[in-house]
Amino acid sequence: MSIFSDINFALRTLIKNPKFTALTVFVMTTGLTLCIYMFSFIQGTMVAPLPFKDGERIRAVDMIYNGMTYQGTSIRVHDFEDLKKRVQSYEVFDAYDIGTVNLSTNDRAVKYTGHFVTENFFKISEAKPLLGRLLSNEDALSGAEPVAVLSHTLWQSLFAGDKDVLGKKLRVNTKPTTIVGVMPDSYQFPDAGRIWLPYTTKATGVERSKADYVAVYGVLKPGVTDELANTEIKSLMAELEDKFPKLNSNTSARIWTIQESSMGDGTSVIILAMELAVGFILLLACINVGNLLFSRATEKGKETAIRTALGAPRATIIMQMMWESVLICSISGVLAVLFSGLWLEQSNTDLLEAFPFDPPFWWNMTITESSIIAAIVITLVTAFITGILPAIKATSGDFNATLRDGTRGAQGKSAGRLSKIVVISEVVLSCALLLLSTGMVYSVNQQNNVDYGTSVEDIFTVRVGLPETEYKNLEKRQQYYQTVMAALKAKPEVEDVSIARTLPGNWASYENIAIDGVDYGKKPQYPSSNSVGVAHNYFQMMEVNLREGRVFDSRDKMDSPLTAVVTENFAKKYFADGDVLGKRFKFVETDKDWYTIIGVVNDVLHGQPTAMNIAKPSAFTSIQQAPKRFISIVVKTKASDASTVANLSKIVTGVTQKIERDAPAYDVKTLRASIDQRNAGMNFVSELFLVFAAASMVLAFSGIYGVMSNTIVQKTQEIGIRRALGADESDIYKHFIIQGIKQLSIGLIIGIPMGVALVNMLEQSSLAQGSLMLYIIIPTLISAVMFLAIYYPVQRALKLEPCAALRHE
Amino acid sequence: MKTLIKLTNLKKVFSTDEVETHALSDINLEVKQGEYLSIAGPSGCGKSTLLSLLGLLDTCSGGSYNLNGHDVVDINGKQRAAIRNKEIGFVFQSFNLISELTVAENVALPLTYRKDLSKTERNDLVKAALEKVDMGHRTKHYPSQLSGGQQQRVAVARAIAGNPSIILADEPTGNLDSKNAELVMALLDKLHAEGATICMVTHDPRGAKRAERIIEIFDGRIVSDSPTTETKIAEAVA
Repeated sequence: MSIFSDINFALRTLIKNPKFTALTVFVMTTGLTLCIYMFSFIQGTMVAPLPFKDGERIRAVDMIYNGMTYQGTSIRVHDFEDLKKRVQSYEVFDAYDIGTVNLSTNDRAVKYTGHFVTENFFKISEAKPLLGRLLSNEDALSGAEPVAVLSHTLWQSLFAGDKDVLGKKLRVNTKPTTIVGVMPDSYQFPDAGRIWLPYTTKATGVERSKADYVAVYGVLKPGVTDELANTEIKSLMAELEDKFPKLNSNTSARIWTIQESSMGDGTSVIILAMELAVGFILLLACINVGNLLFSRATEKGKETAIRTALGAPRATIIMQMMWESVLICSISGVLAVLFSGLWLEQSNTDLLEAFPFDPPFWWNMTITESSIIAAIVITLVTAFITGILPAIKATSGDFNATLRDGTRGAQGKSAGRLSKIVVISEVVLSCALLLLSTGMVYSVNQQNNVDYGTSVEDIFTVRVGLPETEYKNLEKRQQYYQTVMAALKAKPEVEDVSIARTLPGNWASYENIAIDGVDYGKKPQYPSSNSVGVAHNYFQMMEVNLREGRVFDSRDKMDSPLTAVVTENFAKKYFADGDVLGKRFKFVETDKDWYTIIGVVNDVLHGQPTAMNIAKPSAFTSIQQAPKRFISIVVKTKASDASTVANLSKIVTGVTQKIERDAPAYDVKTLRASIDQRNAGMNFVSELFLVFAAASMVLAFSGIYGVMSNTIVQKTQEIGIRRALGADESDIYKHFIIQGIKQLSIGLIIGIPMGVALVNMLEQSSLAQGSLMLYIIIPTLISAVMFLAIYYPVQRALKLEPCAALRHE
Repeated sequence: MKTLIKLTNLKKVFSTDEVETHALSDINLEVKQGEYLSIAGPSGCGKSTLLSLLGLLDTCSGGSYNLNGHDVVDINGKQRAAIRNKEIGFVFQSFNLISELTVAENVALPLTYRKDLSKTERNDLVKAALEKVDMGHRTKHYPSQLSGGQQQRVAVARAIAGNPSIILADEPTGNLDSKNAELVMALLDKLHAEGATICMVTHDPRGAKRAERIIEIFDGRIVSDSPTTETKIAEAVA
């Protein structure tokens, strides 16, 4: 037969068996959809290339502090300048700064994130302005005219796309600044910037302890590996740690891609977990479809034997069988590309809605050329795996014996072994996959329900950044706080108002501290704590409970000795004897004076609700004693419904604008929304794993049931033999249950440690959490499916009279 | 001699929605202990159905069946299983050995369903049965490693291991070449000579003639029940 007639025959066979075809296509489509989606998602987001000539060599340099990587503006400018003089691995080694800037035109003021950049920054990102020019190094020189380049968005929103915008002025942090360029909409390097200003951050003339932090990046020289560059940077950072033990204690740095830096420390682990998960799911799908094809090939054993007897070469028969799997996988592949495309589109929309920031510019969550190529390769590989093994197995029997009929009782030993291996594999894969997926979902669920240690409902927050020049005076800052709080409290919608540097669920500055009386030696390894400045009424308003001592009050003034309120875990960690009140500590880098601990409150969680953050101790300082420019105004509302929130948003924005025109409110949202947005990434990944869990459950459970059921159906004759020899129903159930327990035990013995290892791998990155409950429930669930998969087919077989079972084909 | 089997007006009807097939009608038959009986007839006449009913592998549609003094028509599945286990030994045309079990395990299989046997007793019975069929040297082999004749000898060992009251053989030589068929038939002769009651369905006239009595079935009815020529000669000589 020609290839066309083989295909035609395979097609007819599939059409003749619509249920079988639908089932196999469904199983294969599920596996392939997840695989293609995940491939496209990872390729389009986490490992998408930067679209520049030297994109593959651009690296971010980020600070490692106490073993944890801090992205973005994380390197002290002094350290950067020292490193820049000595690094050898880079063609370009540069820094930029990010800061909130208040922009004012004649009629309004807004706050945006500004990028303070060098000429190199635009050069390596191949920037081309839409209007005007880019920034040059001369713009950063002392005495140069203040200039700015606007983003397309800002140009549209502030100047309505006015083409004569060049040369016009706007106040940037109250300083009149000339617009010299407008960037195209597509330019977002390294993230969605709104305004670019000259990089003027310098180490010269600034105390090392009071230095600014900058974001460092570089372009590796051709041929320099990441390993080499990392070794170099770590060695240089170690030298700096030796040189400045007090300030650089526990610090190092790492280089990685901009994409990795943008996604965070756990990205590679997440990618690995996702790849493993979809790999397992695809394997499950292949096993199921392969098993279905093999079962059918076994059923058609006589037909195959006749073909062989008539002279058909084995290769021809194998090819005929292969075409069926090729057709099934091809149809599934096409459907999978379609479904994953739709799913990617939906994910794009969901992520845009859920994230508090614009997604990185290199994200491209669509079906691309490489997705299609991957889909074709994966489809062909799966077609081969699902087709070739059953075909070889089904054509390797004794055809003469099959044709003679009746000696089946003496055959099928290897087929039996195969089905046992298949069942064990299904148990292993489903157990590992379900433990991994549910561990991830469980962890995120725990995180979403974590106790932040404060009230988070009916709390409304805005950020405000006071202009630097006008608010150098600390008393003026304090005056601003009092005016804002009084003005807001007078509003009937507002129950209470307070002020804090940062809020629960949001990042707090995690700083080295020194406890009074402790000698940290010449190479100090300082302990650390979150540092959170709060107004005096913060604890009461946020329902933080006082455990010991007192909270801040009128005694804690600007000119009185510095005081602090610490959390319980701070007290336990650093004052094991429990005697904490009256003890002193200081923030090593920023303060010369000691803080006296006056009270202990319950633990408060800052940052994402990971195990690491939950364990972090916090020290609250009085914002009245050290007023800051950037603060969060916290408003306790009577409700958090949409209309109240919208109304409050107007009220707070109006009040802040009225009090200080150049300090517009931003990040206007409820605390709950702020927390949810911060957790959006994890929730999204968790939702993906929920889909994996559901898919693996459907595939594994249907697979286990299908294989066991098929095995038992094939053993109907054996059941007949056993009954003829005197086995009663309980003997038959016992026989199959014991066999099932053996396979289940082997599967669980391999699958549980595999799943636990995967969970542990993610647990180290706070991405999953193991739970004894899950370690019991998942194996129990699989065992239950296994027993059902034994019980019902055996029950069906026992309904036959023994003589009918003996005749069963 | 004691009557081991007594069938009275036994019938078997297979019903579907549209068709009712009378596989066996008014079967009256007595089998004495130690008798060697062959059931013959054309394909589809009902001889295998009769053997299934005798072996309690199927239930009858009417009539009565008394086995070893017990009415076995209305007993439940568990009781039927116990009777099959203790009273009946089966030898099938297709051997019906379980491929995943060794020779010894296959022979031991019916004994494992007996709660009154210790492991040692079971092993002794298995050993004795395999030696009786001259397969004691193949205990650890799997069925697929044996010839057809050897497989059937193992099947016979399995049938006799538990010392059943009757051996029911359904075309025991149907899948064997003449040499192996002769070996199996000789084995059945030997068992009969040692006192076993055998009831055999066969197409093979030569095989049938080795029994003491031939029952011929046609269209579900017994059309003749007579001693074989050899028996007649033997009786005449006696």
